[in-house]
Amino acid sequence: MNKLQYFKSLFALSLTLVFATACDDSLDDPLEGQVLVEGTDYTLTENMPLLRIGAYDLLYDLQWETFPIISVRGDDVNPAGDQFPLTETDQFRYDRSFWMYNSTWLNFYDDIIKWHGAMEEIAKYQANAANPAEGDQYIAEIKVMIGWELLQLSRLWGDILIPTSSQTDDLYTTPVSSQQEVMQHISDLMDEAAPLLASIRPNQRTDIKGGITKYTALAVKAMANLEMKNYQGVADATGEIISSGAFELYNDYYELFKVPGKLSNESLLEFQYSDFGQSSGNAEYYLHQFFGPNNWTPAVAGSGAGWGFWEPSMKYIKFMLDRNETVRLETSVLFTREGIEMIQSDPNYTNLPAFVSNTTRDGDVIGRTDAQPNPRAKFSSGKHYLPSNQLTTGRVRYGENKNVLVIRYSEILLMHAEALVSGATSSAMSAVDAVNEVRGRAGLTDLATVTLDDVLNEKFAEFGLEWGIRFYDVVRNGRTTELNRDGRTFGTDDQYLPYPLAQLDLLTQLSDN
Amino acid sequence: MKKTLSSYFKVLPLLLLFALSQPLSAQTVQVSGTVLSAEDGQPLPSVTVREKGTNNGMTTDLDGKYRLQVSNNQAVLVFSFVGFVTQEVLVGNQTTINVTLSPNVSELGEIVVVGYGSQEQKDITSSISTVKSEEIAKVPTAQAMQALQGKVPGLQIVSSGAPGAAPTVRVRGVGSLEGNAAPLYVVDGMFFNSIDFLNTSDIASISVLKDASASAIYGVRASNGVILIETKSGSYNKPAEIVYNGYYGIQTAQNVLKVANAQQFTNYALATGSSADAAFIDNALQRFGRSRIDPNIPNVNTDWYGEVMESYAPQQNHTLSVNGGSDNTRYSLGVSYFKQDGLMKFTRNEYERVNLRSKIDYDVSENFRVGGNINISNGTQYVGENSVWFKSFFAVPILPVYDDLNTAASPNRFGNAQVLGYRGSQNPLFDLYYNDNRNKINKFLANFYAELDIIPETLKFRTAYNYSFSQVNSRNLNFDFNDGVTERVSSINRSHATSFNQISDNYLTFNKQFAGKHNVTAVAGYSYRSETSEGVFAGGTELFPSPSRLNEELWYISLTQTRDETAYGDYGSKLYGSSYFSRLAYNFDDRYLLYGTYRRDGNNKFQQKWGDFFTVGAGWVLTEEDFFDVSAVDFLKVRGGWGQLGNDGVAASVGEPTIDQRFVAIDGERVSGNVVIPTFDYVDRWETTEELNIGVSARMFNERLSVEADYFQRDTKDASVTIILPLIRSNVRRSAGSFRNEGFELALNWSDEIGDVRYSVGGNLATLNNEVLSLGGPQYLDAGSAEFRQRSIIGQPLQAFFGYETDGIFQNQSDIDNYGYTSEFVTDSGIEPGDYKFKDQNQDGVIDDQDRVVLGSYLPTLTYGFNFAVSYMNFDLSADFQGMSGHSILNRKRGEIIFTTDTNIDAELAENLWTGEGTSNKYPSAAGLRKGWNQSMSDYFVEDGSYFRIQNIRLSYNLINQTVLGTEIPETRITFTAEKPLTLFNYNGFNPEVANGIDRQTYPIPAVYTLGLNIKF
Repeated sequence: MNKLQYFKSLFALSLTLVFATACDDSLDDPLEGQVLVEGTDYTLTENMPLLRIGAYDLLYDLQWETFPIISVRGDDVNPAGDQFPLTETDQFRYDRSFWMYNSTWLNFYDDIIKWHGAMEEIAKYQANAANPAEGDQYIAEIKVMIGWELLQLSRLWGDILIPTSSQTDDLYTTPVSSQQEVMQHISDLMDEAAPLLASIRPNQRTDIKGGITKYTALAVKAMANLEMKNYQGVADATGEIISSGAFELYNDYYELFKVPGKLSNESLLEFQYSDFGQSSGNAEYYLHQFFGPNNWTPAVAGSGAGWGFWEPSMKYIKFMLDRNETVRLETSVLFTREGIEMIQSDPNYTNLPAFVSNTTRDGDVIGRTDAQPNPRAKFSSGKHYLPSNQLTTGRVRYGENKNVLVIRYSEILLMHAEALVSGATSSAMSAVDAVNEVRGRAGLTDLATVTLDDVLNEKFAEFGLEWGIRFYDVVRNGRTTELNRDGRTFGTDDQYLPYPLAQLDLLTQLSDN
Repeated sequence: MKKTLSSYFKVLPLLLLFALSQPLSAQTVQVSGTVLSAEDGQPLPSVTVREKGTNNGMTTDLDGKYRLQVSNNQAVLVFSFVGFVTQEVLVGNQTTINVTLSPNVSELGEIVVVGYGSQEQKDITSSISTVKSEEIAKVPTAQAMQALQGKVPGLQIVSSGAPGAAPTVRVRGVGSLEGNAAPLYVVDGMFFNSIDFLNTSDIASISVLKDASASAIYGVRASNGVILIETKSGSYNKPAEIVYNGYYGIQTAQNVLKVANAQQFTNYALATGSSADAAFIDNALQRFGRSRIDPNIPNVNTDWYGEVMESYAPQQNHTLSVNGGSDNTRYSLGVSYFKQDGLMKFTRNEYERVNLRSKIDYDVSENFRVGGNINISNGTQYVGENSVWFKSFFAVPILPVYDDLNTAASPNRFGNAQVLGYRGSQNPLFDLYYNDNRNKINKFLANFYAELDIIPETLKFRTAYNYSFSQVNSRNLNFDFNDGVTERVSSINRSHATSFNQISDNYLTFNKQFAGKHNVTAVAGYSYRSETSEGVFAGGTELFPSPSRLNEELWYISLTQTRDETAYGDYGSKLYGSSYFSRLAYNFDDRYLLYGTYRRDGNNKFQQKWGDFFTVGAGWVLTEEDFFDVSAVDFLKVRGGWGQLGNDGVAASVGEPTIDQRFVAIDGERVSGNVVIPTFDYVDRWETTEELNIGVSARMFNERLSVEADYFQRDTKDASVTIILPLIRSNVRRSAGSFRNEGFELALNWSDEIGDVRYSVGGNLATLNNEVLSLGGPQYLDAGSAEFRQRSIIGQPLQAFFGYETDGIFQNQSDIDNYGYTSEFVTDSGIEPGDYKFKDQNQDGVIDDQDRVVLGSYLPTLTYGFNFAVSYMNFDLSADFQGMSGHSILNRKRGEIIFTTDTNIDAELAENLWTGEGTSNKYPSAAGLRKGWNQSMSDYFVEDGSYFRIQNIRLSYNLINQTVLGTEIPETRITFTAEKPLTLFNYNGFNPEVANGIDRQTYPIPAVYTLGLNIKF
């Protein structure tokens, strides 16, 4: 008995020893360092504007391949680089596995899904906001961003998905909307947004200078209606912008695309970048290197060159010379010595104006200075050029601190003109006045009357190398023979890109495009 | 083992001789005697004494005594007892035969470390492989796990060539897609994710617990296998022994990939038909002149690998240790130094490590023991930019290393390919010269224990506290320079990470034999674990004064002109684990074995807080049965086990949307904003594995042959898988995967001696079938990049390469027209002669996503190794071989052309491109290489990764009892080792060892030749 007692207490002692350290309370500790949406205090409405700034970050943060995919197919530009997906796309040979297609698709849709997330969060703050209308305005700004990106997506792929929330699970069953439906959706979205936005120029905004206003919404509405060929809708939207009297063309076309032209009175939508005036450190930057000449002798030594991937076409240059364009040609095209020789090899173009030079007016020498060939671009995009003498001291990246103009007042004027010559009516301004206002700034004489040809030519001259405006003009107006040049043949089924393979693998409702 | 066995075998011929010399006799003889243990001189009870070739026999009594009537004086007595070397004695004229049995240090009696205790090998029902210090020390490496390559079936080691980098280790395939599926390392009781800090000479043994029944006692940490490491201890009652062990050697790169030379590259570039490429060549001709051999080739022919790579780099290791003990204390102290230079020239690229350790055990009283162990490791790693390997492959050979015309470049006038028109500067010397990356790695491991016998030899209590502290301090510096085109500013980034982990174990061990035949060992205990880690990082640009290799004392963020706000940050994590565990091992008469463990694990990492992990195992030792009488078989055991394991090595998830801070430029002001990330990971539980293992262990022909064979089936459930979401550039993780790894493992060893020559031959092989069982709904999940698709499909291996199957090259137009594609498709896709034929799997006349198939897996289906060792007089020679097959490598180097076309290609490709009808049915034309058609993911990019390697050859000479100039010199061994001297493979790359199967820039795996010295004073 004693022995049993002894073992019992021994056993108890042993167990005590073993479990004395047991400590399960710490298992309820939360994970470190994660800010959860669930933990958001929606009464702190001063945090609501942060979501809007975040939305602008998504808008401005455009990966480099997006712009060329939007615009490479136009007859104003050649992809001079070694990017096979670009050169093939330029030749209207599409492959659904080209990485740039999937990447461009995601660049836009990723923003749209996250914007829905932001709108959903703003709506939660609104319940506590002293002034809920403030939240409505934020949501309206984001809707304009969504509209502009859906427009780009549908121009590229035609029939696409319209996401309606931040939840991706619904997408597997979201039906494909036709291009017409997408454009109507954009137009309606802009109608929802416009009344909630200030009737001022973007650069008049004090909270977010250069941000979205009512006129940006109307501009996107006009662009969507143009794609739908709803010309009256275009004329009404552009007419309202024109009648507001808020906008004017920036008088110096050359500087418009450079530092002095940042947030001008011409700008309806502009992506902002900056080096914050510091010689190094933080910078928000768009990859302008893509467009820059891959050889140059900058006026400010040590300034970085570009990749030489974006070359104005010979067709565009000759078109501009034929029109006796001056500042618009000088601004749009950077010439290399070799490029100039190529123009001159055509006997009709032996005598060129003085500004056709491999030295820009700011003193940067474009291309090689020796007798060697320039391997890639013989010409480079002047619209994406920032003279080295405009770089902040210490900064060397090509185009650092340069903004990207997206929608300009001249596009409003010329869309207005296009709508009117295509059958719409407007009391805001006549087609010929709209065209002549644009011509006047470019130093050209007035036209007495304008036809659709005149308007499209004016757009070609004004918007060369900008956002594929030319390509979509030509396609929309059924003038695709313009695109057949240097061995290219634009086929009937070449308007839209194939859906990216990676997306087809995920979304079975996307049938072959 | 070899020694004891072989000394026994030495006696055999003598015995036989003795037997033959005896006259024949037919009389029965009575023999008696005592059997003693050589270990302690005590009588051995229960020893089987049998007349050879008959059933006549008995067992010794408690005093080790026996008495047996044998048929005649030619009879041979066989004395056998598990755990001791069997002895045979010819009776002859003797009537009293006293025998002393030596403990069998063959694996059977060997003590095997299992979780929270140990077991004898013969009692084990699970699959455990143990590698001893001698085997580990054979391999000149800083990484102990590297030494196991090819030695343990079912253990895949993928070497890493960079100094200080740990190899990838996989136990029985991949059951998890996260954290490299790294096993748990338990070093003297402490948990680690890697043992890269340990000195190989400090390790006494490494035990690989391969199956669930062995590792389940580690519960939620055990799913990827458990590897137990014991560091060296001293010995009781042994005078101090001072041992020096070291080597010095050189590493030299193997199988250096041949890239196209200037001639091949120029031909290729011109053949592409690209005017830009022709212009680059033209520029090079103008700038550098024309080659005298061929005036169409620029007068430059740079061998970039030769320019960046040392022809040899030194490596050395020195360990000094003192071991010994008195009757109540044993100790082991050691200090070691390791240094390995990298293969990159012109940059700091090396690993240096100093380790200190001590281990002491002290018997306070007969029933109370305490001990402790401290291991300190201080490493410094200089990491060469891995991009050097990438650029050395891609840099064009027509670019010189130095270009005197590149006058704008400073401080060095390196050649810059941009000057010729290429997109990038290409020259890898920029990467070698203009940065310096240092990691200081300190690890401190300590554990202390106390052990109390509550009931002597029956119930024991052990408490242990294990502590590890580690810090990684890294500093990456970029120098300012001008590459001739662009001015680069200097920058510095530093980070400091610390982690502090502790484990406290308390457990009881009960050990008793009941009624002479029922042996029970039971363990029950509690373990508490905490893991805390935190870190900060920061950076700045434009150091003043300008940094150089001569002013390292000025490399501080404080001296930068601009602080990079995006480079600042900190992080931390705190994880806790609470575990109750128990183990029960029972055997009846060493014949029937039963085994079970149970662990209840709790943690704060997942929403699922608690989990239970069970295992059961059983074994049957057939050789202990009376009916079993196959004389060739000394020991035969069938064993089986089933168990559950967890893997908490997957990253925890918050399971809800989060907010990211972003910055935007608004009118030149930097403004902060928030972006809602609506997608999120939802991993609310650990991954669970269930495994069944069935095995056979046998020893045959007087233990000359040992056989271990295992079949396993390991299923992982709730595995964290990454789901690519539509429309959003975001992937999310979900606990939705279920995978199977299944295989067969076999290890055979034979050792014997012929005259003075002792030898052993061994081999092992393991098969692996890796398969996706379910994905929680979808039939497949995509992985990898969009261009190089990998796909996990149910019924196929995890993340298999996925694309088109090539079927040769179109030789001419009629070949294209008749291949089976529709004419519309041919026109639309612009197929030309010199392009790939892709198999139209669904025969619909077009090649599209429906024609993609699985092209291969990065996991080998067969791994094998074999070895032999010979000893003669004072010489020892050993050789190890290993290899694997059945796996694929994505030759991402060849795939890079999708993104950058104008760079160099490998020589094999350059030489064998299609140049016209009949020239190649393997590679497309030069122009074709740049076409999207040929760039589609296909088996052109996916190559056979099989290799065979001579892993290690080692020759030693032992000096024992030698005198030099009249003085006895200490026991000395001189060793020459060739590590990885030869690797054979067909893959068009540098190195067939690519952990994830995607070869973009792997560090070459060098061969190492060393001269080693081992001295015992």
